[in-house]
Amino acid sequence: MSRYRILITAGVLALLAGIAPAQTETINMSVLNSRRHRIGVTDNPVVGFFTSADQGATWKHHGWKEYIRTFYTETDPDGVIWSACGNGVLRSTDRGATWRVTTGWDVTEVLKVKVNPAHPGEVAASTAYGVIITTDGGERWRTTSTGIKRFFSSDLTWMPGARGGLLAATEDGLYRSLDRGASWKASGLRGRGIRVVLADRRNPKKYWAGTEDDGVYVSTDGGVSWHARSAGLTHRTVYALALDPSDTAIVYAGTFGGGVYKTIDAGVTWRQCMRGLTNPDVHALVVLSSNPSTVFAGTLNGGLFKSTDAGQSWEFNSQEDAQVWGLSVGGTK
Amino acid sequence: MKKDDFGSARRMRRRSVTPAILFALAALSLSPRAHAADSTGFDVRRGQMLDVVSRESDPAFFTIAAKLKTGRDVPLALRMLDSMTVDNAMGGMFYAYTLMGTYLHCRSSLPDSLHRKIRQAFKVRTMYRGDTENHFVMYYTGMYLAAQTWPHEEGTQWFNGRSSDENFHDAEQWLRRWAMTTATTGQGEFDSPTYMAVFISPMLVLYEFAADPVMKRRAQMMLDLLFADVAVDHLKGNYCGGHSRDYPEDIINPLGAPMTRVTWLYFGEPSEARWNDARFHPRYRGSWEMVFGALGSYRLPEVIERIALDRQAPYVHLETKRVRNIIRFGDTTNPPVYKYLYMAPGYALGSLQGGILQPIQQHTWDVTFVSERPNNTIFTLHPFSSGRELAMFFPEEIKFLAGEVDRYHKVYTSPEKWNSSSPYEQTFQRKNALIVLYNVDSAAVQGHVDGFFPKTLDERVTDPSGWIACRSGSTYVGFFPAKEYEWIDEEIDWRWRSHELKNGVVVEVGSEAEDGTFSGFRGALGRSIPRFGLSKGKPQIQYTTRRGDRLLFTFDGDRLLNGRKVDVASYGLFRGPFLNSRLRSGIITMTAGGITRVLDFNRLTITERGSDR
Repeated sequence: MSRYRILITAGVLALLAGIAPAQTETINMSVLNSRRHRIGVTDNPVVGFFTSADQGATWKHHGWKEYIRTFYTETDPDGVIWSACGNGVLRSTDRGATWRVTTGWDVTEVLKVKVNPAHPGEVAASTAYGVIITTDGGERWRTTSTGIKRFFSSDLTWMPGARGGLLAATEDGLYRSLDRGASWKASGLRGRGIRVVLADRRNPKKYWAGTEDDGVYVSTDGGVSWHARSAGLTHRTVYALALDPSDTAIVYAGTFGGGVYKTIDAGVTWRQCMRGLTNPDVHALVVLSSNPSTVFAGTLNGGLFKSTDAGQSWEFNSQEDAQVWGLSVGGTK
Repeated sequence: MKKDDFGSARRMRRRSVTPAILFALAALSLSPRAHAADSTGFDVRRGQMLDVVSRESDPAFFTIAAKLKTGRDVPLALRMLDSMTVDNAMGGMFYAYTLMGTYLHCRSSLPDSLHRKIRQAFKVRTMYRGDTENHFVMYYTGMYLAAQTWPHEEGTQWFNGRSSDENFHDAEQWLRRWAMTTATTGQGEFDSPTYMAVFISPMLVLYEFAADPVMKRRAQMMLDLLFADVAVDHLKGNYCGGHSRDYPEDIINPLGAPMTRVTWLYFGEPSEARWNDARFHPRYRGSWEMVFGALGSYRLPEVIERIALDRQAPYVHLETKRVRNIIRFGDTTNPPVYKYLYMAPGYALGSLQGGILQPIQQHTWDVTFVSERPNNTIFTLHPFSSGRELAMFFPEEIKFLAGEVDRYHKVYTSPEKWNSSSPYEQTFQRKNALIVLYNVDSAAVQGHVDGFFPKTLDERVTDPSGWIACRSGSTYVGFFPAKEYEWIDEEIDWRWRSHELKNGVVVEVGSEAEDGTFSGFRGALGRSIPRFGLSKGKPQIQYTTRRGDRLLFTFDGDRLLNGRKVDVASYGLFRGPFLNSRLRSGIITMTAGGITRVLDFNRLTITERGSDR
């Protein structure tokens, strides 16, 4: 084969790879509960952890079927699955076939778990009782809430620009740690309940925060200062934020009562995107890297919705009447 | 669960089996001074209970255990057990401890196939740990016994991926911590007429089957403590006073609560006739937790039986409990709950200090009287509900929680509910007199306060003085509303309702023995009219009881008794004629009928002195 033909072939393959959905991009869905769930019966809907490797066409359940309170699940670059649950932090190294509760009796009500993208053995989790962290892949965990005034934390993110940096969402503003949680300092928005915090990994100093009652805030200086970005956002309770991986000026916000909002100008203005979204309480969002026009929205007691036109319209996807508490993308191996 | 300052697992394990404790255990086993309650009555009742439960047909572990132990319908019981080990929709903390309790009680009569299936259940089932104190007690009791039964197995053999040693260690630590917390600062799910049974039942199983004598001793001491805690609030089968985790149907009919089964089995009250009376039959027909008591070897110490039954003289009993873990909107994880109880031979008046002390199912105060008829109670409440209140205790979203709780508990947002905590309600009690103040925010979801007056009362009259006087048998209840109100005629009760937001009531309880005739009681009330006012905008009541005590209480202000401030923080863990403990001391002293029994949770010792009867 001539060098010319090789180059052409490689180019076509690269182009196809860019257009076609990545076969290995997996969506992780954590279903906390269902409106159909009843106490004392044996025919309750199956909840827990599901994955889809075909952009939501089919879903596969993994692990425990009964009520385990799975809030959020994430996959690290090595394919290890981490799940934030009522029983603690769960880990699966065999694609969800078996699980280990990595935490002990003293950890409960884990709401988010986040793997450090740069160092997958480092995992931090938000819990109702503060932040916990492991640096050895879940063998040992330590509580790392020194300096945080109110411990309840619903989300956190590793800070891309700072090794060991963490930004935690608490019921009393944001807290920042630059030493893997050994110590924390207030990082703005004190007095506000922060529900979600998101790092813009293309802009290492840029972060987004969604609040209980005050809309969306943005920081462009590594979480030192925050600025309201809520024009047009008439529903101010923001549970979820998701960036378009191809254009980080495009952001989606999942709200209570108002469905999904979208900005295409980095939060300067927001526009409601509700067409087809029959449940207005959106708790989780994910945008596919392989196809940024495809967005999933998890709702509280309304199941999972999918948009294939970048939020212009939505269709019910699965999990009727369920609480789709968490969504993430992973499984790159 | 919040971390505490416990040290490493290795150190804890070593500490828990010190020679001193082992010596103490050995010494106790030789002690002649462990007085058991009347075993004849207990043996009769446990036989009756097993007979009743063994005739049940619903598949449940308690039913299976009763059938297997009595030999009734054994093939059916084995089929039930088999089906419950293969049904993948089942699991969780209730499953974990009841499966282990049934298995350990009955394993000698099980075929090999069931041994294997039961072991397998702990590999393939979800054993959700839950999110309440009783859930954790059940889960860790189940896991402790399972890990003890199947030791030295790898994590691959367990549903949670943790090895036998890890599961055993987790359970041991949690149970140890829970026992110490309860013995020093009180229960979080305190005095629940429903859930106390599922604290006692796992401890019965743990006591029966823990191989480690230290854990067995701990379980025995927890049983003593829990039973004594019930006994001191007990009156003829009624679990009296303020409660956490109380269901509306039990609040308005105390003898219908599941705890009635416990008091019947261990205290012999209420009487068997009532036990078999459908009106009093506990609503959870499928939950026979006390089967494990009927099958087990734990026997109630005589001193506790005497505490439960000696109602010859009135007494005041004070307690401190703790609020369930506050995870949001609070500076303290477990603030104290202060309980006041006045117990008389025919009635009890009890109260919590008010405020949000427990989400969803708080019962702040009531008067409960001995009666042949149901609905033997009077109380008031403000029917409060808010997502913020729920978010104090549950991690889900604030704006979503109220509707979610309503799905399971049905009445949380109802304006007519009979159980509620409220930040707008506070109490001040002095013996058989009580002031309840309401300072309801105008923005509150419900702008009224309600009162329950059963139609089973013999008399309910409103005197010209403003007092509402009630009689049930020989018990008299005076109720003085500070503001205008209305009566709503309902099926089993008259609902007293007042729409005044700055409000209050005064309650006086008496009896024929104390006050003579009902008219005499009414006359005494009429000579003492409460004065209601506002102090800096907050409700205030000044009242001199018919016994001459001067009470002054302002919402959010001091409680003044005869001009002196009452310090509720001085209550101690227990304070009264029967049960005493300094807060955080870990030492519980029970005294009745010349017997004194001391539980020392620091040294894990039980000492008892007194005469044999």
